[in-house]
Amino acid sequence: MKTTDLKALILYPPLLALLLAIILFFVGGIVRPGFANLNQAINIVRLAAFLGIIAAGQTLVIISGGEGIDLSVGAVVTLGAIIVFRIVDGDNSMVLPALGACLAAGAAIGLLNGLGVTAIGIPPLVMTLGMAGVVQGIILVVTQGELIGGPAPIMSTLISRPLVWEIPGVVIIWLLVGLIMWAVLERTTYGKQLFAVGVNRTTARLSGVRTPLIVLATFTLSGMLAALGGFMVLGFTGSVFLNLGDRYLFPSIAAVVVGGTVLAGGAGSYWGTMSGALVLTLITSLLTALQLPESYRLMVLGVILLVLLSVYGRQRGLRQ
Amino acid sequence: MNTTFQKITLRHPYLFALGLLVIALGVNFYLQPNLFEQRVLSGNLRIFLPLMILTAGQAIVIMGGGLDLSVGTMVSMVNAILVTWITRESTGAEIATAIAVGASAGMLAGLFNGLCVSYLRLQPIVTTYATSFIYAGVALWILPRPGGLMPSELTKFYRSNPAGIPLMIWVAALLILLWVGLRGTRYGRYMFAVGGQAEAAYATGVPVSLMRLSTYVIAGLMAAFAALALTLSTGTGDPRIGDAMTLPSIVAVVLGGTRLSGGQGGIAGSLIGVVILGTIRNIISFADVPTWWQTFVDASIIIVALAAPGLIRLIRRRQTQL
Amino acid sequence: MKVSLSAQNVVKRYGGVVALADGNLDVESGEVVAFLGANGSGKSTLSKIVTGVVAPDEGTVLLDGQPVTFPSPQTAKKAGVTAVYQELSLIPDMTVAENIWLGHEPLQFGLRVNKAEVRRRTEALLALFAGTYHESLQPDAPVGALPPDEKQLVEILKALSLEPRLMILDEATASLDGRQVNRLFELIADWKKRDMAIVFVSHRMDEIMRVADRATVLRNGRTIGSRVIAETTEQELVEMMIEAGEAVPHHREAIAAEGQPAGVRLSVRQLRTSVLQGIDLTVRDGELLGIGGLQGQGQADLLLAVFGAIPFSGEITLSGQNVHFTHPRQAMQQDVAFVPGDRANEGLLLRRSILENFQLPSWRKYGFPLKINSARADATTTADELSLVRESLDAPVSSLSGGNAQKVVIGKWLLRTPNLLLLNDPTKGVDVGAKGEFYNLLVELRQQGTAILFYSSDDDELLGLCDRVLVLHDGRITAKLSGESLTHAELVTASMGTMQENGT
Repeated sequence: MKTTDLKALILYPPLLALLLAIILFFVGGIVRPGFANLNQAINIVRLAAFLGIIAAGQTLVIISGGEGIDLSVGAVVTLGAIIVFRIVDGDNSMVLPALGACLAAGAAIGLLNGLGVTAIGIPPLVMTLGMAGVVQGIILVVTQGELIGGPAPIMSTLISRPLVWEIPGVVIIWLLVGLIMWAVLERTTYGKQLFAVGVNRTTARLSGVRTPLIVLATFTLSGMLAALGGFMVLGFTGSVFLNLGDRYLFPSIAAVVVGGTVLAGGAGSYWGTMSGALVLTLITSLLTALQLPESYRLMVLGVILLVLLSVYGRQRGLRQ
Repeated sequence: MNTTFQKITLRHPYLFALGLLVIALGVNFYLQPNLFEQRVLSGNLRIFLPLMILTAGQAIVIMGGGLDLSVGTMVSMVNAILVTWITRESTGAEIATAIAVGASAGMLAGLFNGLCVSYLRLQPIVTTYATSFIYAGVALWILPRPGGLMPSELTKFYRSNPAGIPLMIWVAALLILLWVGLRGTRYGRYMFAVGGQAEAAYATGVPVSLMRLSTYVIAGLMAAFAALALTLSTGTGDPRIGDAMTLPSIVAVVLGGTRLSGGQGGIAGSLIGVVILGTIRNIISFADVPTWWQTFVDASIIIVALAAPGLIRLIRRRQTQL
Repeated sequence: MKVSLSAQNVVKRYGGVVALADGNLDVESGEVVAFLGANGSGKSTLSKIVTGVVAPDEGTVLLDGQPVTFPSPQTAKKAGVTAVYQELSLIPDMTVAENIWLGHEPLQFGLRVNKAEVRRRTEALLALFAGTYHESLQPDAPVGALPPDEKQLVEILKALSLEPRLMILDEATASLDGRQVNRLFELIADWKKRDMAIVFVSHRMDEIMRVADRATVLRNGRTIGSRVIAETTEQELVEMMIEAGEAVPHHREAIAAEGQPAGVRLSVRQLRTSVLQGIDLTVRDGELLGIGGLQGQGQADLLLAVFGAIPFSGEITLSGQNVHFTHPRQAMQQDVAFVPGDRANEGLLLRRSILENFQLPSWRKYGFPLKINSARADATTTADELSLVRESLDAPVSSLSGGNAQKVVIGKWLLRTPNLLLLNDPTKGVDVGAKGEFYNLLVELRQQGTAILFYSSDDDELLGLCDRVLVLHDGRITAKLSGESLTHAELVTASMGTMQENGT
């Protein structure tokens, strides 16, 4: 490999983020002895898997451009988890129907988001923000405050217990999601058209791309993936509560940015988001392990995020 | 062509919001016949005022082409400061100092936001979301648990009616007056230019970075005043008191006819947007909506209100095609 | 007050690329100096240095005999040096008056904008171009709603409001129609008498010969020389701009007469849009039908309607079948192609690779999952056929020069071998060399039997390339010119419609 190729490879954002994650891991080991061992590593990757799956949809939405962002993923994660919790009710045979219902609900919410953005012209930020409130309202209506149900044993076996060697099931599922995402983005017409829509919608349209359909499909996928994330989280925690998904919303956006996907759209990859998810999970785990009072935790989290953004998220200046 | 319509909506962006407000008030009045009585009206306005002041600041940032997701936590932070500094025994001078410190804290936070967005060139949404964690942390650090008590003279002042008109009306009028003045200066034009088309503004010699910075500083100052209003309203302190105000401030600006992309709009519409949101809440509680349905109904109405301008455009476009 | 500007031996490098190796330009009060050069000649770099947008690496700029440096456009403007660019610096949501006076509004008490004064001065400025624009161009009209030619007028007035001593018009006439250009030239004559110095950057040879006193030519980053217009010819100037003295003919492609008339590919009846008032036309296979007329008379609408990109009413028959496209995708599936003039905003995905740009309309053909190698092979074939100069198909398309980028825009359609090719002013802002290659391509396609519908704002192109030309005015066809009637005089007359025009 020529030196220029090597340089390009190292500066490739997903790889850079991965490097950052590894550095953070060992820093954690120094700051808090006992942190950097294999068990913890597996644990981190497992936690990151949930964020990673939820952030997959966010990646697509951000690539689609047009100020695309999905602020409803947190609520949809919760909704998905609660639906599965209810339907499964501890019964293994109900897992597949529950998964189906969960994905359908996520897709429906995503579809509504997409319709609001494409047909009515509401900016994605506002639409998904509003939808998040609606979904929270739906959750309250459906549960009436009571959280009855239960996860199926098979879920925790598949998801949180080690499946192959010591690797938990969810990580394998995450890798599968990664491969599928790569294929979707780089080897399907939808993926190529998605990038086009993110770069320049006029050119896309004049080249035959049905932009509204692409955007609609993207938001629908985002809802589905968020709901899938909810399914996974339930398999891990075994219980649900009303704000289950909120902790994933901002990290999902940060993971995408840290992974090198431009917020303006038109460029990026899911590998980057995966690395970003690792980075973010490491940060939050480190902060928990340090046992700081919450006020310090919040301040440190904010500062670290700003630092990451300064490295990864700077926009083009006006002077060229 | 539609240039007259465009001209009118450009000059008076609040007209649509006004229409929505009339409808909302109508429904509210139907459900709550004593809505316009002095006592009830004052009570409502008292609750709206902090959000109004906060929204005014958010509107300035949005018109300048940005967005501030940390305004709510800035309110929490200043509330924590005020409540820690001011006690029942505070003298007038101490109170004044406390307010000055709070205002400075707000402006400093706004300055920090502005520097990150304008000079580090970080994306506004994600950046202010990150800084909101910082301010929330500061609020918790200053005031770990809810507490504190404001002197009764101040809380009474908040509820007073100078010259027979509730204080809130004075404040709202002052905000609108300040806005009209600002809009007529070169600064106002610079703000719209930067929000409308930053590259073109830059090519014309407008100091784009400085302008953006200033809008965030103003938002910080407004957040501080909103905190003051909130503290006087509740009479006490809570480190998370303002956090939930961020999203409504954005929704109110959009409801008021200002586009999120910036470059047009006004304060009047945003203030009307706040009243609309509050009226919707009232409607929901007076319509005997079952508790478990309230969040859903509230959120759905907001979505419909946000969708309305787009829906109207869609219908009109279909009509011209026929 | 007299002014003189002299840029001497200016050098500018961007990373490893030398944009300007030895730039020189002299201009003084009372004269118009035309500034000529192909794309990549360093012309725009030199004008950006003189106006303070870009800092030079070496060389001197003398203003009134004193060396100056302009760290920003603002300092240049304060010194009296102002430019009017083709890339617009207007804020769409603000009014004409607000845009013109942005940053230097007359103030009351140093604080409030003096609205009455702003209005008065704006009206005075607009009066300079009276009679050349629609009545909708008022001081309080939002700029975003204006057509491109009126936006350009506002840009010119914006520069004028600064009362410059030296004005640089950089392709400022590209969007203007004939009447507006005439008026501008009248104003320029007046400004010369008032000691203004003017630099006129343009690709339009006929305008240069009309308005300029001298011409300075740049080639490959060096100033080749200067000529007095009265003592030189178009041919000589073009030869200076192109390498190796091989003057590519600006136009004049002889169209050989064909034998049998081929079948009708496209037939349009009573086409109406918001601008078009009922258009009828037919295009046969192997025919190059030109559309002419002043800017904004509906030419773009015609092409976009046929392509299904805008709503319309009327009948369209394509390849013998009635069609009514509501989306470009449908037109594409019937082998129609559309090449836009604004390639950066409508024809290309700048950040993506050349390969992706080539295949954007055609990915569906490559199956699921996409056979990338097959796509790459097809793209390579077309790129080679077009002599596309590139590093690799994976390089971003933004790395290509103007002429090559245009090849990608047309290449992505050629990959689909269209039956009907629609072109919307495709050579606007393209330099002479690339234009020549483009004309050859069109003639070749025509000979292969493609039906071509071609709008150009350049009358010479229409005259030289087309079999027939339809002239549009106010949304109607005012003339159908061919054979003997296809002359410059007829074109211009038909373009003006029924309006009175004093002087030329």
